[in-house]
Amino acid sequence: MQRLLTAVATLAATTAAAQDAPITVAMHYTEEQAAPLLACFDAYEEANPGTTIEYQQLSYRDYLQTVLTSRIAGQAPDIYNVYSIWAAQMVDNDVLAPVPDDLGSFVTDTYAGGTVGAATIDGTLWGVPTEVSTYMLVSNMALLREAGIEEPPTTWDELRAAAEAVTTRNDQGRIKTAGFAFAESSSGAGVTHPFYTLMFSKGQDVYAEDYATANLGSEAAVEAASQLAGLVQDGLTDRTVDAYDDFPAGGVGMMIMANWYESAIRDGLGDGFEDVVVSQIPTGEDWRTMQYAFFMGVDSGSDRQEAAWDVVRFVNSTDSAAADGGPSCVGQMMADLGALTANADDNAALEEPDAFTKPFQDALAERAISQPNVLQASEIEGLIGQTLDTVIAGEAEPGPAMEDLNTRVEDILFEFY
Amino acid sequence: MRKVATAPGADAASGAVPGVATGAVPRVARPGAMDDRAPGAPRLAPWLFLAPLLVFAAVFLVLPLGFSIYLTFTRWNPLGSPSWVGLKQYEYLLTRDPVFWDTLGHTFIVAGGLVLFGVPLSLALAAVFSRAKGRRVWRAIFYLPQVTNIVAIAYIWQFLLDDRYGLVNRGLGLLGYAGPDWLTDGTWAMVSVIVVMVWYELGKNMLVFSAAIDGIDPQVIEAATLDGASGPRVFASITVPLIRPAVVFVTVTSFITGMGWFALILAMTNGGPRGATDVTALYMYRMAFEDLRMGRASAAAMILFAIIAVIAVLQFRLLRERAA
Repeated sequence: MQRLLTAVATLAATTAAAQDAPITVAMHYTEEQAAPLLACFDAYEEANPGTTIEYQQLSYRDYLQTVLTSRIAGQAPDIYNVYSIWAAQMVDNDVLAPVPDDLGSFVTDTYAGGTVGAATIDGTLWGVPTEVSTYMLVSNMALLREAGIEEPPTTWDELRAAAEAVTTRNDQGRIKTAGFAFAESSSGAGVTHPFYTLMFSKGQDVYAEDYATANLGSEAAVEAASQLAGLVQDGLTDRTVDAYDDFPAGGVGMMIMANWYESAIRDGLGDGFEDVVVSQIPTGEDWRTMQYAFFMGVDSGSDRQEAAWDVVRFVNSTDSAAADGGPSCVGQMMADLGALTANADDNAALEEPDAFTKPFQDALAERAISQPNVLQASEIEGLIGQTLDTVIAGEAEPGPAMEDLNTRVEDILFEFY
Repeated sequence: MRKVATAPGADAASGAVPGVATGAVPRVARPGAMDDRAPGAPRLAPWLFLAPLLVFAAVFLVLPLGFSIYLTFTRWNPLGSPSWVGLKQYEYLLTRDPVFWDTLGHTFIVAGGLVLFGVPLSLALAAVFSRAKGRRVWRAIFYLPQVTNIVAIAYIWQFLLDDRYGLVNRGLGLLGYAGPDWLTDGTWAMVSVIVVMVWYELGKNMLVFSAAIDGIDPQVIEAATLDGASGPRVFASITVPLIRPAVVFVTVTSFITGMGWFALILAMTNGGPRGATDVTALYMYRMAFEDLRMGRASAAAMILFAIIAVIAVLQFRLLRERAA
């Protein structure tokens, strides 16, 4: 089987080389979103006659499936934009090539340490970080002030008090305005990521350092799950409220959300966006948050790895800046998207971020811990999300549910570590 | 001399089948008249004509099925190569994976709901509309969901059943009732899925029943009516027994559809809330394409296939015995 796949891949690669095919870059951004990057590809092609670059937009949801299918067909892209939680699996299966030494130095010198960690597996760097996201408490202060709360909460007790003050119900007892809301997402990230922020704030990692065991049955994990569940059990929110829909509609007081949701909130609230305040995770002075990142990596089977890495270096360094002193193409693209970059050169070149983005950026530098790059991360996070959902809905006790979850997650870890 | 196979019950001398007009041209050629092959030479023509179908079946049925069976004995993440694990995938699913059993339970609830509610309802509607004016129009209306994209259907029902803003709960709210949490409560979510599936399948099943009812000799119904049988009695004692093959067909196909269906559930609830509508087919899909566990997903598919096959055969036998 392996021989057959290798033969197919080799044949395809040889054919492609003979035809001098373009370097292909697969990302999940639309062409409109990737416009600064596409302009950069044109500039690179002009500076390097004979080299052509082709952009492939892959759906985020199907990205990993498309990658594996294209590899089986021998048509893998040369450059990927990898979500950090896919990385361990891709590395484990030799999909990615390690970053060359000189580019590695550029990354460690230029990017924030936590973000470099997102592209690092077992001490090896596998790509150049691009988009970074982190989580913060996002409050609709118009609703909080109406309820007599003047400042966003900084502790969990304050959050509960504020949420209670904001929550209103209609004649049928349904929540009309929710004090707090979780986001509904098929991956479970809507509850899993806020849960991580609480766990990290309690000083607890999700896994042991060697990934052989998990800490999901720990006191901190059970306490974090109980805190989230308490919001529903005490009527401060319920699972019919969805932060993604209801916060931009003005029906939610607070949510723990990533920076990339800014444009949806802005579009939904219109002028009301001025009342949106981003603040620390409400767990006291020792608060921490979670960050995840995408990074640009090169396919280990690419017959033009050197050229591909050169393209990656170019688009992520200020060599590609549209004007002197400007940010790199990727940095510009992130700024246009309202996303974060951990590239210090880009952050210095870009204008001071707006009031919404600034706290996220500050947290990235000082308080953010990377989402763990564990094998089968997507499957494990699905399990965590489902368990938390059950606990939050009051269908299971936090203690036994988290203990059971820990056992199931360790079953998966046992397969790989 | 080569023997010529004849149909059972055919006249051995003439080759004619009783009850079938033969016309002027003999239906069975005399041995040797059109066949110049040497004795014992293979008959190529039938294989040549069958070849496209056989190749198609081999490429798109036998090979994938064989590969899938092979995968059940492996651990395979398609980014790498399969590694042989013997029966471990079956062992894990059957002895250590509570979610697999939960999803099997949900699958039976969905399939059972589709049969228990969908079959009688479509039969009743077919009977009602078989005598109604403009029955073709009604049948077409009931068949419309079948020609509508399943994802669009899922979204429409999501809008209708949304707990807070859906038309159904808004309507109930106007009447002073707090409607149920159609999509966020586990039990109600399952009810919603079954209702939508029954609604979706209704038109198709109705068509089969309608065709069967239209095929009943009107004189039989007339005779029963003249003998004083009421409408319900005629339906129960004449119509249903006479269309029993259609009932068997619809029951078995509805059950198989219910056991394997997941597209609507994927788009409507994605197996939620909290796995309450997670069926085995959807679980398999996630295992294969989200968790990249092709071996385990293939084993789950084989188990589901075996269950469906056994139950379908039992259903056929049971319903045929009753008919006999």
